[in-house]
Amino acid sequence: MIYLDNGATTKMFEECMDIYKEYACDAFFNPSTNYIHGVNISKKLDEVRQNLLAKLGAKRGDIIFTGGATESNNLAIRGSLRKGWEHVFSIGEHPSVYNVAKDIETFSDYSVKFVPLSKNGQVDYDELEKLLSPKTRLISVMHVSNETGAINDIKRVAKIRDKICPKALLHVDGVQAFCKIEFNLDDLGVDLYTISAHKFHGPKGVGALYVRNKQALKSIVFGGGQEFGLRSGTENVAGIMAMACAFNKINVKENFEKVKKFNTLFIENMNKVDGVHILKIDNSDKDSSFSPYVISLSFDGVNGETLMRALENDVVVGMGSACSAKKSGNRVLENMGMDKSRIKSSLRVSFNAYLNEEEVVSSAEIIAKRYKEVWEKVK
Amino acid sequence: MKVLLLRFGELYLKGNNRNLFEGQLINNIKEMLAGEEFKFSKTFGRYVISNYKDEREGEIVTKLGRVFGLHSFSRAEEIDATPESIQAEVEKIDLDGKSFKVIVKRADKSFPIKSMDFASSLGGVMLKKYPSSRVDLYNYDTEINVDIRMNGKAYVYTTLIKGQGGLPLKTAGKGLLLLSGGIDSPVACYLMAKRGMTMEAVHFHSYPYTSERAKEKVFSLAKILSGYVGQIKLHVISFTKIQESIHVHCKPEFMITIMRRIMMRIAEKLCEQNGLGAIVTGESLGQVASQTMQSMTVTGSVISSLPVFRPCIAMDKEEIMAIANKIDTYETSILPYEDCCTVFLPKNPVIKPTIEKAEKEESHLDIEALVKEALATEEIIYIK
Repeated sequence: MIYLDNGATTKMFEECMDIYKEYACDAFFNPSTNYIHGVNISKKLDEVRQNLLAKLGAKRGDIIFTGGATESNNLAIRGSLRKGWEHVFSIGEHPSVYNVAKDIETFSDYSVKFVPLSKNGQVDYDELEKLLSPKTRLISVMHVSNETGAINDIKRVAKIRDKICPKALLHVDGVQAFCKIEFNLDDLGVDLYTISAHKFHGPKGVGALYVRNKQALKSIVFGGGQEFGLRSGTENVAGIMAMACAFNKINVKENFEKVKKFNTLFIENMNKVDGVHILKIDNSDKDSSFSPYVISLSFDGVNGETLMRALENDVVVGMGSACSAKKSGNRVLENMGMDKSRIKSSLRVSFNAYLNEEEVVSSAEIIAKRYKEVWEKVK
Repeated sequence: MKVLLLRFGELYLKGNNRNLFEGQLINNIKEMLAGEEFKFSKTFGRYVISNYKDEREGEIVTKLGRVFGLHSFSRAEEIDATPESIQAEVEKIDLDGKSFKVIVKRADKSFPIKSMDFASSLGGVMLKKYPSSRVDLYNYDTEINVDIRMNGKAYVYTTLIKGQGGLPLKTAGKGLLLLSGGIDSPVACYLMAKRGMTMEAVHFHSYPYTSERAKEKVFSLAKILSGYVGQIKLHVISFTKIQESIHVHCKPEFMITIMRRIMMRIAEKLCEQNGLGAIVTGESLGQVASQTMQSMTVTGSVISSLPVFRPCIAMDKEEIMAIANKIDTYETSILPYEDCCTVFLPKNPVIKPTIEKAEKEESHLDIEALVKEALATEEIIYIK
């Protein structure tokens, strides 16, 4: 079985498990305690914070450890709300951002606006510019789309922000970008950045939020005051250490080059097949930029979900956001102007760097073959 | 002594068969309460559950609330049937500031005071004890019931909990439910079981067109239903090949009609193999194209030896949904997984098919072989 749904989750590195065990069973102390064992753990966590800041390319700011991306996104958004101000979200966000925005929208105290997407899957920068105002408090635009792989030009977003509302906070959900594409947070001009360990071979249930200026954020859960008072609750030490093990192991540049090759190979093979459409190819323009880790494609005349199941014992592919796979419709593809039948026939393939070229080629062949078989039956 | 006093419904209408029905009802009650500690006794027209643990009472009441054939039940105090002990028990009821009425029933006519007289005398006692209370026969806060039975015991209670009604399970034969995963078929199962029918179910899945989750959903529904109908034998049949064949060989507008006809044939075979006497579906007249009178005529026409029961036939969707909510299947039924009726869905399914046209479409298929092949995919799962 070849696993090509790494956008949903990745296989944990074995080394992470060793580290996890060490911090769960041996060095299990509570980092908030004042005896030496606890203090040592707390120092370890601070080391991880520094390492993570370095990995993110941030010279200043802090790391808040959380229970994953959904929590990081909630903290980033709810923690920076301001009554009477405007909060602007890309419509292409993951449900853990979008549904928070939809919830906030129900309260009359907060103004919420959504920016549409361009055909190439990126946020529509012109529309964004129109929606911003000096009363904008928060802008939330994801780095890499979990559905399409489209990379938003965060620098450009920050520039627009600096021009119209320099005090507004820029939140970026970086779940599909961190440890996958190269970037430097200081360069990007980001205030809040979300990451999730299980998307880069770490454990599930742990993530982090980068916060450029802690004073700008308010806590949304209250308790023992851990994580600078912004995320109470005893830290998931073993999970955090295992996450650190994962991001320390990953060579982003090297992996990127490998996956770029996989991407090219896969597309070359799929492109030969009649009835297959690759979003990256069909929806490109001069501004386009796609992560090689994610390919969105559709299959004429076949329901994507059916094909996914027809493949599942040989090649595991995804349906876009796994978190929303249980719901019908697709907000992101719809907003890009894709027609309904094409959306219904869409699948997402997402790589990791630890595959090999044979697996990539063979998965493309299997997908092509299975597609034809299913198509024959339902045509 | 604290007891639960149980009344059965229309069983009293039964003549010579009454013992049979009652025996089954008692078995069902005991089965439903298996694992609980209690004592069961019987007096003419009533059952008494006693000697149970106080903290289990809520759970026992919930379980009894699922037994078909029980009309109602009450939490009661059991005492010796003497006027003195009854009065003493009644006096324990707090009527401060309340309106009330007293009802006395004497199954035991040897009790020295007539019902009406005893009721008014008890009323007088209570008025004296609680000067702020008053008697109101129509708008009362509390209804004090005194039930004097033939076993030398009397029962005093103020609450009446409605039971399921209907007839005891296993008294009306065995049926096979076509369980799709939607809202209606679980309700149909419940309604037939309520009339005493033992239920098995068949589910058709269409992997890879339908997902494992859709199947899991059906298991969850069967699990909920088993709380009412006991263990369910669920027959799971793959319908993929049949759907693919119909898709290739028949007109698209006949897809659903032919599918339903083949499902009926498979159901009939399963009934034969498992000794079941009826097919049960959740169809409701006019709800969708396959549930028009003409469609049901055409789908039902393949069944020669069994009745097809459609207990939801004259219900509005709202009424069906209300029952689904009551029996707790609604939330599961609306989970959005495709069932096998939603793949290959034609744009314009035929609303008024005829048997001749359906047969003509079917002539392109080897129905017997398809049915046989589908039956060979049968998985049996016991759910309780």
